[in-house]
Amino acid sequence: MGPRILAIIPAYNEAGNIARTVCEVLAQPQGIIPLVIDDGSRDQTSQEAFRAGARVVQLPFNLGIGGAVQTGYRYALENNFDIAVQIDGDGQHDSAYLSVLIQPVVDGEADMSIGSRFLGGKAGFQSSFGRRLGIGFFRGLIRFLTGFYATDPTSGFRACNRRLIALFAGYYPSDFPEPEAIVVARRLRARVCEVPVIMRERREGKSSIGKLKSPYYMIKVTAAIFLHMLKDRKVYGPWA
Amino acid sequence: MGIRVLEFLLSFSVFLFVVELVRREKLTFKYAFAWIFFSVIGVVFSLFPVIPYKISKVLGFELPSNFIFFSLLGMFVFLSLLLTVFLCQQNRRNDRMAQKIGLLEEEMRALQERMKGR
Repeated sequence: MGPRILAIIPAYNEAGNIARTVCEVLAQPQGIIPLVIDDGSRDQTSQEAFRAGARVVQLPFNLGIGGAVQTGYRYALENNFDIAVQIDGDGQHDSAYLSVLIQPVVDGEADMSIGSRFLGGKAGFQSSFGRRLGIGFFRGLIRFLTGFYATDPTSGFRACNRRLIALFAGYYPSDFPEPEAIVVARRLRARVCEVPVIMRERREGKSSIGKLKSPYYMIKVTAAIFLHMLKDRKVYGPWA
Repeated sequence: MGIRVLEFLLSFSVFLFVVELVRREKLTFKYAFAWIFFSVIGVVFSLFPVIPYKISKVLGFELPSNFIFFSLLGMFVFLSLLLTVFLCQQNRRNDRMAQKIGLLEEEMRALQERMKGR
């Protein structure tokens, strides 16, 4: 029997996209179980997800992406999953790449595997110029601070093994979780790798993180990352 | 002289008010302590003005009143920082609780489904 895999799908007002995302996950051959975290949506996200065959955790109010994803890691820990995959509920992550994404984690070569849209040739949705500028800045910053060159530090398409599930269930950054989680994982000497994936443009609704090009956002993320470097590793919990 | 009476009345009424709030359980000791501490200092200063005069001289303030203003400002900075810490703590607990509620609901639904299946 293969590893038990949970797909954590955070969703906020994604009633129009969620069913398709869930169905795509269910269509994969690895028997991945989709868990939709409805982050206090005001539309039919939960019902749509449930009808599509997902397990659903409905948060009583909006916690933001970090709090929602952490709920998924807590679920994975409590229900003894071997691997947890994060997939955005808005449909920009293509489940066809799930097998590529989890492979390094299944093989035990990495603790965390991140799907990067900038590796292996430029195909699919590459995001706007302003956002790419911001991403370039974070690549440099994260490499400087942790020694790991993340080509796509804001990608929320990732897979983690048991060690990081336990860590993230206890501690998950809430402000700018994607780049921060890489920094935290690297600080705790986790093995992080990237695999090439192709991403789509979101199908319906509006992106909640379209602010990557604003200098204000850049300054905040940079400050948050630097503050992480000052933290005692103990704050990340007993699993650190 | 009048200013000293005013100072005394202000800090003493703050002190009494905070004690009354604790007495009525509107404020717990944890949150009241900083206020009690500062109001007692205010009372002591107004009763023995030599103390603030001496301190302001030692610290090099031109006027004792400048020292009083400076201390008050410092107190407010400290108290608001303390409040932010408490707020942050509450926020985190709130989030944890929301997560737990969501997880428990899911667990309950799964259990109900299994019972129905039997």
